[in-house]
Amino acid sequence: MSKSKQTLLIVGNGMAAGRLLDELIKRDISGFEITVIGDERQGSYNRIMLSPVLAGETDVPAIIGKPSAWYRDRGIRFVSGVQVKAIEREQKCVLTTEGNRLRYDHLVLATGSRPAKIPAKNQQLENIYSFRTLRDVDRLLNVARFHDKHGRKTDTDALVIGGGLLGLEAAYGLALKGLRVTLVHRSGWLLNRQLDKAAGTYLQRVLESKNIHFMLSDEVERFTGSHELKAAEFKSGRSVSCKLCVIATGITPNKELGLTAGLQGDRGVSVDAYMATSDTSISAIGECVEFKGATFGLVEPIWHQCTTLAERLCNNIKRPFENSPVPTKLKVSGVNLFSAGEFITTDEHRELLYCDDQAGIYRKILLRDNRIVGAVLFGDARDGQDYFSMLQEKRDVSDIAQYLLMGRAFYAASSDEPAAA
Amino acid sequence: MTSSAQLITSDRPQEVGTTIQTTCCYCGVGCGVDAQVQDNQVVSVSGTQAHPANLGRLCVKGSSLHETQRSPDRLLTPMLQGEPTSWDTALDYAAQKFQAIIAEHGPDSVAFYLSGQLLTEDYYIANKLMKGFVGTANIDTNSRLCMASAVVAHKRAFGGDTVPGCYEDLEQTDVLILVGSNTAYAHPVVYQRIARAKELRPEMKIVVIDPRRTATCEIADIHLPIKPGSDAFFFNGLLQYLAQHGHTDVDYIAAHCNGFDEALAVAAEQVPTPEAAAEVCEVPSGDIEHVYRLFAAHEKVVTVFSQGVNQSSSGVDKGNALINCHLATGKIGKPGATPFSITGQPNAMGGREVGGLANQLAAHMGYDNPASIERVAQFWQAPNMARDEGLKAVDMFDAIHEGKIKAVWVMATNPAVTMPDAGKVREALQKCDLVIVSDCIGNTDTAKLADVVLPASTWSEKHGTVTNSERCISLQKGFLSPPGEALHDWQIIMRFAEKLGFGEQFNYRHQVEIFREHAALSALDNNAEVALRGFNISALADISEQDYENLSPIQWPVTPESPEGTPRLFADGQFYTADGRARLVPITARLPVKTPLPNQVIMNTGRIRDQWHTMSRTGTASKLLGHVDEPYIDVHPDDVARFGLLEGDLAMLKNRGSVYYGRVKPSASQRVGEVFVPMHWNGKYAASSCADALVNPYVDPICGQPEFKHSPVMIKPFRQAWNGFLICSQDIRPECEYWAKITLDTGYKFRLAGGESLPCWRTWAHAQFPEISDWVTVEDSDHQFFRTAGFVGGVLQVMFSAATDKKSAPEMRWLEQQLGQATDASGRFAILAGIPDAGVEDEGAMVCSCFQVGEKTIRKAISDGCDSVEALGNKIKCGTNCGSCIPELKAMLR
Ligand SMILES: Cc1cc2nc3c(=O)[nH]c(=O)nc-3n(C[C@H](O)[C@H](O)[C@H](O)COP(=O)(O)OP(=O)(O)OC[C@H]3O[C@@H](n4cnc5c(N)ncnc54)[C@H](O)[C@@H]3O)c2cc1C
Ligand code: SF4
Repeated sequence: MSKSKQTLLIVGNGMAAGRLLDELIKRDISGFEITVIGDERQGSYNRIMLSPVLAGETDVPAIIGKPSAWYRDRGIRFVSGVQVKAIEREQKCVLTTEGNRLRYDHLVLATGSRPAKIPAKNQQLENIYSFRTLRDVDRLLNVARFHDKHGRKTDTDALVIGGGLLGLEAAYGLALKGLRVTLVHRSGWLLNRQLDKAAGTYLQRVLESKNIHFMLSDEVERFTGSHELKAAEFKSGRSVSCKLCVIATGITPNKELGLTAGLQGDRGVSVDAYMATSDTSISAIGECVEFKGATFGLVEPIWHQCTTLAERLCNNIKRPFENSPVPTKLKVSGVNLFSAGEFITTDEHRELLYCDDQAGIYRKILLRDNRIVGAVLFGDARDGQDYFSMLQEKRDVSDIAQYLLMGRAFYAASSDEPAAA
Repeated sequence: MTSSAQLITSDRPQEVGTTIQTTCCYCGVGCGVDAQVQDNQVVSVSGTQAHPANLGRLCVKGSSLHETQRSPDRLLTPMLQGEPTSWDTALDYAAQKFQAIIAEHGPDSVAFYLSGQLLTEDYYIANKLMKGFVGTANIDTNSRLCMASAVVAHKRAFGGDTVPGCYEDLEQTDVLILVGSNTAYAHPVVYQRIARAKELRPEMKIVVIDPRRTATCEIADIHLPIKPGSDAFFFNGLLQYLAQHGHTDVDYIAAHCNGFDEALAVAAEQVPTPEAAAEVCEVPSGDIEHVYRLFAAHEKVVTVFSQGVNQSSSGVDKGNALINCHLATGKIGKPGATPFSITGQPNAMGGREVGGLANQLAAHMGYDNPASIERVAQFWQAPNMARDEGLKAVDMFDAIHEGKIKAVWVMATNPAVTMPDAGKVREALQKCDLVIVSDCIGNTDTAKLADVVLPASTWSEKHGTVTNSERCISLQKGFLSPPGEALHDWQIIMRFAEKLGFGEQFNYRHQVEIFREHAALSALDNNAEVALRGFNISALADISEQDYENLSPIQWPVTPESPEGTPRLFADGQFYTADGRARLVPITARLPVKTPLPNQVIMNTGRIRDQWHTMSRTGTASKLLGHVDEPYIDVHPDDVARFGLLEGDLAMLKNRGSVYYGRVKPSASQRVGEVFVPMHWNGKYAASSCADALVNPYVDPICGQPEFKHSPVMIKPFRQAWNGFLICSQDIRPECEYWAKITLDTGYKFRLAGGESLPCWRTWAHAQFPEISDWVTVEDSDHQFFRTAGFVGGVLQVMFSAATDKKSAPEMRWLEQQLGQATDASGRFAILAGIPDAGVEDEGAMVCSCFQVGEKTIRKAISDGCDSVEALGNKIKCGTNCGSCIPELKAMLR
């Protein structure tokens, strides 16, 4: 083994790790001895596509981007199904749960995040799942396949907790499998982190038509059952019997590995604009990091993190990472929504609103100083990207304000040539 | 009496694809029209080649005759107190009430108010019923509003109401003076003929005398923008000039005229020099003298005058002042030399012939002669002959207002809009015990105030004669059956007469019988020994029904001596006065009654080219509104600045508690201190843009014609909080301070503006259309703009666009065409934008949903050279987010 090669150790083999490898290979990995340790069994896969898998719109092999052979072919050591327990920074090595130590010259933390816990009691009961990994999806698909064989009569087949993107995609997938689904959400409207109430209500209307029932402004207090889940009891006093439950209320960064090793951080492992932690030999990317107080939950900024880190490691070029806002989309067929930037109207905003109740189309654009600071689209999300670019460019839209909501086809025309008769 | 079914003898439903020769019903030019009829509908029209009035030409109003026929507002059944009813019930009610009022208050407590839209036969029997049988001369017409001055001027000068010349004179003359006559707009085909003559003979001089630089000035060699109302000073000056410079025709005066010396004496004293005229008229004396010289130097001079001269508190005098000049020079009764009064309405002349005015008797006989009254009474076998003049239009409505007249029948006109001080007229009608309206349209502003509304026939159904400005009698043909239960006016009057107990004297079976009676009356004692009258159609007194049906246009007098008609009168210097001599009337010229205060301007009213009266007919054809589609105010740029107005903004004129809203049109053609407003808009077409409501009810003391052309009014900007427009399939009355309606092919368009406060536009708009629930709305929290569109069954019914500044949606034809059309969700975007999709290419099937990149865009990028997923990502971003479309991208790259 040539001495000149650096040992690059990546902990976690999810989407960030996979993308980082791509970026490194794109550049030059001849100077590295690369090892990836991941506690999931598969090679890096497209986690985003778990929703379509659950919905039966695609299958598992199609989303595994990097099977074991991929690593082998590129001379990358892939340690699968192994968890790292601790980092020993003085020795520059990590300790696995099996007690093995692996040395590194440079360590990358890409441990992602895990489903957030909810305060409800009896979460240990059987048939309560989260929605994060291939294994979760496997198990869900399995119960879904046999749900009608569980002879028990229940109020609903599946209870989904959480009306965010994940919860909605889980509920949609299960409903497509023929399960009766009830979704519980703590807030008064769906996607309350991305949508205003009007758009949330439109969304609810569409999903109701896809056979999903909703319980808003409510929370599960406890689950009941002996070891199998029987029912859920709610803060409101209601009780709903069910066969299975999916908890998708949010994510918690896997920061503990780094923080116990003494790296700085709070909600995640802190990084600078070049993805370096407080230890210059350790970098971090993905959902486990905290950057200027922000954590991450969508892949787009993570891709930029990977480029920044690859540039630094391979070429020693410092290209700072910028955390720009990311628009929201929901992967439910037949539901078009888009949200970017601010989405709750306040007195400081100028609000432009398009409402077509009959067609179920809703569009809202928030302006400050005649610049777009937020857009919420429902029913027809076609122009989302365009609004988003204008938001990023901070373009003054006063001249096209009255055509803005109708989309590019119109404001482009109105600004080029003042509407010929 | 016969039943209505048998009464309709003149209706001739036509075979497929026939051509009918008839006349245009829009103006006093009286053009001949060839109408193509198919399936009981007029499908196209063209000008009749052989008609002397137009020789094949038609103006834009005339050529859209077929488009204005199917009015959605057409009245189909009699209405009693707003409810449909039978003819018998309606007429019984009307007749009984009419009789009761007469019994209690005498015959002078009832009145008829007619219109120049009626055919001569209609007019004749209405006049006969009132003056001979009801026993009152309270019968006047809206011709009073445009023609009365000329009638009296003619009578004073010629001893009868006779237009001496014919249209050919306008072409054959060497100097054509148009006074207060915007021929280009008011008499388009006459204008076309003049324009053509000028083209052929550029040496022919055209002089326009008008305070405004009207469209007619386009063909003028000289325009004299005289001070409003100063016309008579101009002509007095001319008379004096002619005398001073030896241009009078001494022999002619000696042989054929009276009163020359007296007239000259008054004129010379009042306007001794062209300079004196220039001072009053406020135009350079050089220009005035130039025109004087033209008049003096040419044998062939025609002076055309109409509303600008007539609608004045001294209209009669103005007419005589100009006729004096023609008499003094003998420029009358010769080809290319005549004074020429030109009428506005298609059959105003017919009304004058039968005597359908309060101060006339019948067939050119007047109340000034007791023998005439006796003669007519005998001829009619009239039991209750009215012995005195009745009340003229303005006085008539005053009397209604005062409760002296308690029953009025309004026929085919809309006085609630067209009368001066129209607001007061409305009030009067509201108070009146019995208001009967007969009209083809059921919802005119006047009909809305009526107790009984009777459905009348209209152009293409009516059948009878009309007379145009050059005394030419034509047959306006009925060739379609009136819809529903509508009847012809003469039939309605006849049935009413029967209910009053005069069935025996009013039992005509066909129009020709009325025509013959009228012709016979025109001939009665019409000779130099008793009293020579101009109107004489004795040669037609025995006309057969067949000849009547085939009547070729013919100019009266039509006598055994001139069976082919008479194009020119007075060629022999014989007039209709007792001594056969024309009379020059001494005229002391007067300026208008009221002079404006410092915050006032003088309002002048008139027509625009393509509208006709109160728009009740032409307002329904969208083509006609393309020219000028909103009430406006022509203002001189100096006044625009002085009163703080802005071009295109709304301004308001105020007088007598009424307001006229209109768009400010700066116009250097306007004199400073004077504004011009069109007279057409009324309560059906605008919230408050009825010019006549602001007109002071000052009338000419002799003829009772109101001073429409000169009303001092207050002017100020309308400070609008918002403006907008509304297009909709159904006609509504928007609840809004300002609105003006524009008829579209697909429905209606309203321009709107609101004063002080801003309404919640959404609530406002949706409240106008409570039946619509499917709305698309665009709102701006800053209230800079608002849009909403309403659909029923996916079909666009309404689109409303409002703004606080001037940024309304563009009013494109495209948007108007969408009314009544079904659209999909993205079509709705276009409707709210007000413009069609600017053709942003259809993306094809969506491939990258993160960045919304469609198949077509990707294929194009590939053909432009992108050969890998990365290249595509760099160029068009697809596949660079979630990556789920990468397999598809790869497949497309293969
Ligand atoms: C169902 C679903 C749908 C989603 N849809 C979208 C979407 O539409 N758009 C979008 O932008 N994002 C979406 N996301 C989020 C996106 O998947 C995540 O942002 C992304 O996966 C984060 O990448 P990561 O590498 O940071 O974390 P992960 O992909 O979670 O990878 C972290 C990996 O590290 C492993 N690991 C953790 N700790 C250790 C340890 N101590 N030792 C060894 N291994 C460890 C974990 O098991 C995991 O495999 C979705 C997520 C889910 C679950
Ligand atoms: S000029 Fe008058 S009569 Fe002739 S077509 Fe026009 S409107 Fe009709």
